[in-house]
Amino acid sequence: MSVALEVSGVRASYGDLEILKGVDIEVPFGEVHVLMGPNGSGKSTLCHVLMGKDEYDATGSALVDGTEVMGLPVDERAQAGLFEAFQYPVEIPGVSLNDLLREMGEVRNDPEFDSRVESAAATLDMERFRERAVNGGLSGGEKKRSEMFQMAVAGPKVAILDEIDSGLDIDAVREVAHLVEELRSDDLGVLIITHYSRILRYMNPDKIHVMVDGEVVRTGGPEIASELEASGYVDLIGNEASVPEPHVTPFDA
Amino acid sequence: MKTLDAQASAAAGAADPGWLAARRKAALDYYDKLGMPSDREEVWRYVDLDFTFDEFGLVDAPGEAHEIDTGIVAALPDTAGSMRLVDGHATSVDAGGDRAVFGSLRKLLADKADLLEPYVAQGTPSDLNKFAAAHTAFSGDGAVLIVPAGTAIEQPYFIDVQAATDGTVSFPLITLATGQSSQASVVIRYRSDDALNALVVPNLEFAVGDNSQLKVTVVQHWGANTTSISHLQAAVGRDASLHLGEAGLGGALSRLQLQIDLEGNGSSANVVGAYFGDETQTLDYRYTMHHQGLNTDSDMFLKGAVQGESLSIFTGMIRIDEEAQKTNAYQTNRNLILSDGAAAQSVPNLEILANDVRCGHGSTMGPLDEEQRYYLMSRGLDLPRSNRLLVHGFFNEALERFPEPAIADVVTSWIDAKYRAAQEAGRV
Repeated sequence: MSVALEVSGVRASYGDLEILKGVDIEVPFGEVHVLMGPNGSGKSTLCHVLMGKDEYDATGSALVDGTEVMGLPVDERAQAGLFEAFQYPVEIPGVSLNDLLREMGEVRNDPEFDSRVESAAATLDMERFRERAVNGGLSGGEKKRSEMFQMAVAGPKVAILDEIDSGLDIDAVREVAHLVEELRSDDLGVLIITHYSRILRYMNPDKIHVMVDGEVVRTGGPEIASELEASGYVDLIGNEASVPEPHVTPFDA
Repeated sequence: MKTLDAQASAAAGAADPGWLAARRKAALDYYDKLGMPSDREEVWRYVDLDFTFDEFGLVDAPGEAHEIDTGIVAALPDTAGSMRLVDGHATSVDAGGDRAVFGSLRKLLADKADLLEPYVAQGTPSDLNKFAAAHTAFSGDGAVLIVPAGTAIEQPYFIDVQAATDGTVSFPLITLATGQSSQASVVIRYRSDDALNALVVPNLEFAVGDNSQLKVTVVQHWGANTTSISHLQAAVGRDASLHLGEAGLGGALSRLQLQIDLEGNGSSANVVGAYFGDETQTLDYRYTMHHQGLNTDSDMFLKGAVQGESLSIFTGMIRIDEEAQKTNAYQTNRNLILSDGAAAQSVPNLEILANDVRCGHGSTMGPLDEEQRYYLMSRGLDLPRSNRLLVHGFFNEALERFPEPAIADVVTSWIDAKYRAAQEAGRV
């Protein structure tokens, strides 16, 4: 099967702080992968670096269905087929979800777009949120659902779901997991970023990658999740590695 | 063209009843005595008045008016009545039947002077400044709406105010009065050609009767070389409400100095604004909300953006009298700075003499939000498109609070177009 996302040698720093130290990950089409790691290991940074947030200095390669996206503006990465579901989706007052969907449709020029909107809105029960401001006054679970809805209508080749299970109660976690499984298709590769293994109880990932201190230290099958659940990150990676402290002090002149 | 002197004042007031003649005479004295306002006065701070009245003259007859543009016509398919004030003269009056008194001030003074006396030229005092004095001294005509007690009129009245003759100064007076337990809505539209050099000094005076509701929407779309110095004075009676929306788009310098007196117990005012400056425009708002009665509520909510080298000013004063217990008062002013050469001033003020009130203010200023932009771009929207959507959303928060939603939609489309034009010209 061809590769949806191929990340190789991605390094990133924020100011003087090196966060990613050479990340390699491959997600084939049709598969759901999970990227796990302790807080501060660089998971969300990888997500933003791949999407193109400009606050990082990043190098390396990221191919989305064979297209190099590193160096492209954010919107062109999205056009190349990359989608990020945000950990903390920002509220956009005055812009309704319908306003955003209309713009997404205009830039995509895809005859199927409108029908995807209607069917995803029905499936995900999003109808009542469409006239409301994007993420405005939504609960944590509703925000995640809205992200999944936008993912469904965007029709990406690669979806990166950043901490899609954070801040959710167990019912909502189960719902999100089921949505991911429903969206699984041969035209899509999914990378789920998570801190906890609980979402994995409700889905069947093909592979799990463990990131520590800016590097992927282990890749394997779903059994890794059980090991992590039993013993945490420390046993898996040895006592040396822990959450990295930023190498900066705020009082340096 | 006539210069502003005693003769011109007398000509403007040729048909005045005695009470108005007295007000005019007093105003002319103030006009002669007062100098041009200076930016050393707090209420004129930040504003550079680089002209004098001598540069403009009065005309005896209106110039050629523009037809109302299609967007507004489509938004107002069904008006209660409409009229036009061109260069200060009333034309094209459609009184819309006799549910209310609506029409030219000059004409109504001839027929119904007694009815007008409590309301006309009662608003902004002539000694406030030279412009207010000039208005009362030289104003020759205007629009009057008097809604009888108990009458509720759903459809809006439309007043189309234009400047059409180069080099003119005009003084349109707009007097709106709602009788007890009545309801009315008025839409006021200002416009002129971009090439037209004119000074317009409108005065708006509202008497909102007990238990009545008045909605007023002002769409300021003066041309690029028109200067407008306007005043608005409103008195709101017991359990009455005023809902005012102002959209400020045009003008070289456009100023609105406003005072709302919440006189009656239980009265309320909801004031919304959306203003958008470009190139070298100055948009200047000086708002005072004066709580006098018990249990009065007010909310001022203004959103403004500046691009190019434009300047906006908002100073908001909430004044709560000692007697005005149980007041709820809030003011919000949010500003978007869209280019390096543009600037905004936002000065909230509170003056609270009562001890049992809820009152607050919020003021912000800054560029478009980067997190919001990143989110939109991650959905595939390019940078200019993302910025347009954010500007649209910024104003939408104010425009969705406007009294007439259909007019707000038209204003939204003009704002969108104004931002897009600046994008295309590289001013943002």
